[in-house]
Amino acid sequence: MDFWFSYVALASIYVLLGLSTNLLVGIAGIFSVSQAAVFGVGAYIVAFFLMNDILSFLPALAIAAAGCIALNVLVTLPALRVSGDYFVVTSFGIQLLATAIFTNWTAGTGGANGLPGIPPADLFGKALEDTSSMVMLCVGGMILGGLVFWLVMRAPFGRLLRAIREDELAVAATGKSVLRAKVSAAALAGAFAGTAGGLYATFLSFIDPSSFDLDSSILLLTMVVVGGARTLAGSVLGPFLLLALPQILTLIDIPTTIAAAMRQLIYGVLLIAFMLFRPQGLAGERL
Amino acid sequence: MLALQLACNGIVTGCALGVVAISFSFIYATTKLFHVAHAGVYTLGGYLAWAMLRQGLPTPIAFLVSIACCTVLGALIQWQLYARLERRRATHLVVLIASLGALAVIQNIIAAVFTANILLFDLPWGSRVIHLGGDVRLTMTQLLTVAASLLAYAALMLFSHGTILGKQIRAVASNPFLAEITRLRPRRTHIYVMAIASALVCLPGILTPLDLGLQPYNGITPLLTATIAMIAGGVGSITGAFVLAVVITELQNLSLLVIPGEWSIGVTFFIFVIFMLFRPTGLFAAAR
Amino acid sequence: MSAYLQAEGVEVRFGGLRALRDCSFTVQQGRITCLVGPNGAGKTTIFNVITGFLRPQAGHVAFKGQSLDGWKPQAIVAAGIARTFQNLRLFVDLTAVDNVLASLPHQAGEEPLSAVFRPLHVMTHQRRRRAEAMAILEHVGLAKRAGDFVRNLSYGEQKLLIIARVLATGAELLLLDEPASGLSASALDNVMALLRRLQAEGKTLLVVEHNTRVVQQIADDVLFLHQGHLMAQGSPETIINDPALSEIYFGGAL
Repeated sequence: MDFWFSYVALASIYVLLGLSTNLLVGIAGIFSVSQAAVFGVGAYIVAFFLMNDILSFLPALAIAAAGCIALNVLVTLPALRVSGDYFVVTSFGIQLLATAIFTNWTAGTGGANGLPGIPPADLFGKALEDTSSMVMLCVGGMILGGLVFWLVMRAPFGRLLRAIREDELAVAATGKSVLRAKVSAAALAGAFAGTAGGLYATFLSFIDPSSFDLDSSILLLTMVVVGGARTLAGSVLGPFLLLALPQILTLIDIPTTIAAAMRQLIYGVLLIAFMLFRPQGLAGERL
Repeated sequence: MLALQLACNGIVTGCALGVVAISFSFIYATTKLFHVAHAGVYTLGGYLAWAMLRQGLPTPIAFLVSIACCTVLGALIQWQLYARLERRRATHLVVLIASLGALAVIQNIIAAVFTANILLFDLPWGSRVIHLGGDVRLTMTQLLTVAASLLAYAALMLFSHGTILGKQIRAVASNPFLAEITRLRPRRTHIYVMAIASALVCLPGILTPLDLGLQPYNGITPLLTATIAMIAGGVGSITGAFVLAVVITELQNLSLLVIPGEWSIGVTFFIFVIFMLFRPTGLFAAAR
Repeated sequence: MSAYLQAEGVEVRFGGLRALRDCSFTVQQGRITCLVGPNGAGKTTIFNVITGFLRPQAGHVAFKGQSLDGWKPQAIVAAGIARTFQNLRLFVDLTAVDNVLASLPHQAGEEPLSAVFRPLHVMTHQRRRRAEAMAILEHVGLAKRAGDFVRNLSYGEQKLLIIARVLATGAELLLLDEPASGLSASALDNVMALLRRLQAEGKTLLVVEHNTRVVQQIADDVLFLHQGHLMAQGSPETIINDPALSEIYFGGAL
């Protein structure tokens, strides 16, 4: 039972990350390998506020989301103004820099050993100490995130993003700012990632840099690619499928020393295979 | 004097990085593809050389076979992956993701076969130390790195400006549409470009780990620095990429005097941000 | 007296190529002005300069007495100038009405905050905008095809849609790049009637056109462009009947 709780909670958190990555990569068309870094920033911010007893869960989460919004805007705004490929460099740079900070800024992030003992989330004064209520919180977060995504995509903003994906020049000719739309999409993606980070920190009560590195960003991309770009269904399917993968792999006898490499290898193969043969993923639209 | 030693080390590493930069630039200028998997080819070169040296093969053979394998791998990625995607009119984003997938596959196959631990080379002649003036000491490997890198730079420049194929490649780079309707065959050109660039990048892929050791995931940081050098030097300028690679590495090394080593990525990134804000076309941008 | 739209001494160079050299012309308000000239004369380049997509190396463009130098494309559209593209550039995976909606300015819900926090407001606003978009489609004669995807529209219908899209911006000066090219005779008459209707409603049109019959039928003024420079300006009859100009244009008499 515990395993299923854990799976559902983590999958819900990763759905939020999937929505975030989908907004950035699937919808705004911005190649990003720094999603895990933003996820990490959200997690560390919430951990900081809760562990030092400064704020309760919801305000901490709000600040984490705000911080991640700011981070995404700060990063995409200058890079997008110049050229798409510049953002690739920026994204790799951000991810590597974040991992360096998470690993070496021991005072703030606990360094490579991470932060153990993060207090559980609390809602309106009541601490959620048992697993089932935490799971419900995560699932609730996922549902809320899905609702926000749905609202945004059916609004004129969603149509604007779809038009931008088709023809940026034509959109610019109608007098609308392509840059502002892309940066807004990135900001929203930041909000999702920051929230996911906060839920992650309180659910696991321990975080360390290995959950927020380049390999994790690759996993997030794989989720969106496999699940499908630009749709709510794809953002849900990808995480649930890919988080089941490690469990499936334990059925095959793989020595633990190479288990991590095998997982990453499979993600790489999935990325290539889907881009070659099914760019729309299982339940999405063509990337 | 520490600063002088750091400066010399910087030139050594910078030259090696210069080859990464010029090979990446060669690909990017011609195919317009951000070939992230280049970091994987770089890493593979080192591991293949290590494996062969371990088996007792003579050094020159190990080098040559590694270069050959990298060449084949690069050409294969272009032929079977990028060309296919191009035929389907895939967007830039799709190709980037596929390239990232290829990188993940290469790195993790290496990690599965050789483990993720750092592997060291065992070349006695390589670690012989030469004393230069002013307390500066360089190993044979380091000297070899500088020599080989400068040779590689010269070779690429000669090829690009002096040979027919090189000129054809530059023509394709400057006007792919026109190249398509004349007889320049851009698709075949792209395979040559990837093959040559992959052969080139194998050199620093072997030489740098001779000093610092091998690790499966160590390819992305040099690639990142190399691309920043390419952008800062001006896309399309081979000299610009090489020079800036040396300059950036120098700055990184000298910064070690004041900042701990774990933060060097920050220095590189800071340089990139400066260029992006103030001179995004680079210093030696090719005249359009 | 400053003209409605005025270009003075505009120079545009691409590398060694001079796309526009010392290009000067005026466009009068409320009239249909046709821009003609052989291929490569710089007609589309002029559009790009006026709409802010291209910065000239020299020269000025002024609209209603105000200089447009250095203005961003968004600002120029807001000031009342909008253009179409020769190769359509419609949003193929969107419906006709969505193409028009995507071009309407100042919509609630075009950024995430209002979309998330004021969904009902966005919904009511959208209903009004949809009615506006339908009216525009009605105006160009595409009301029946509103819900169809662009890839299912005929070429003639797509040409009407790009006019609908540029009307949606609310601009008073419309720059139309070959609105009638590639059309059958009946579709052509349709478009010409539409252009005259737009003029009657107060719009000013600057139209790039190759078809001399179209030019004769709708133009009030004609600007003849050659090698990036304005060679002649006048009524359709004078321009079309000028043997020297038709020599340049056709390599022979009309």
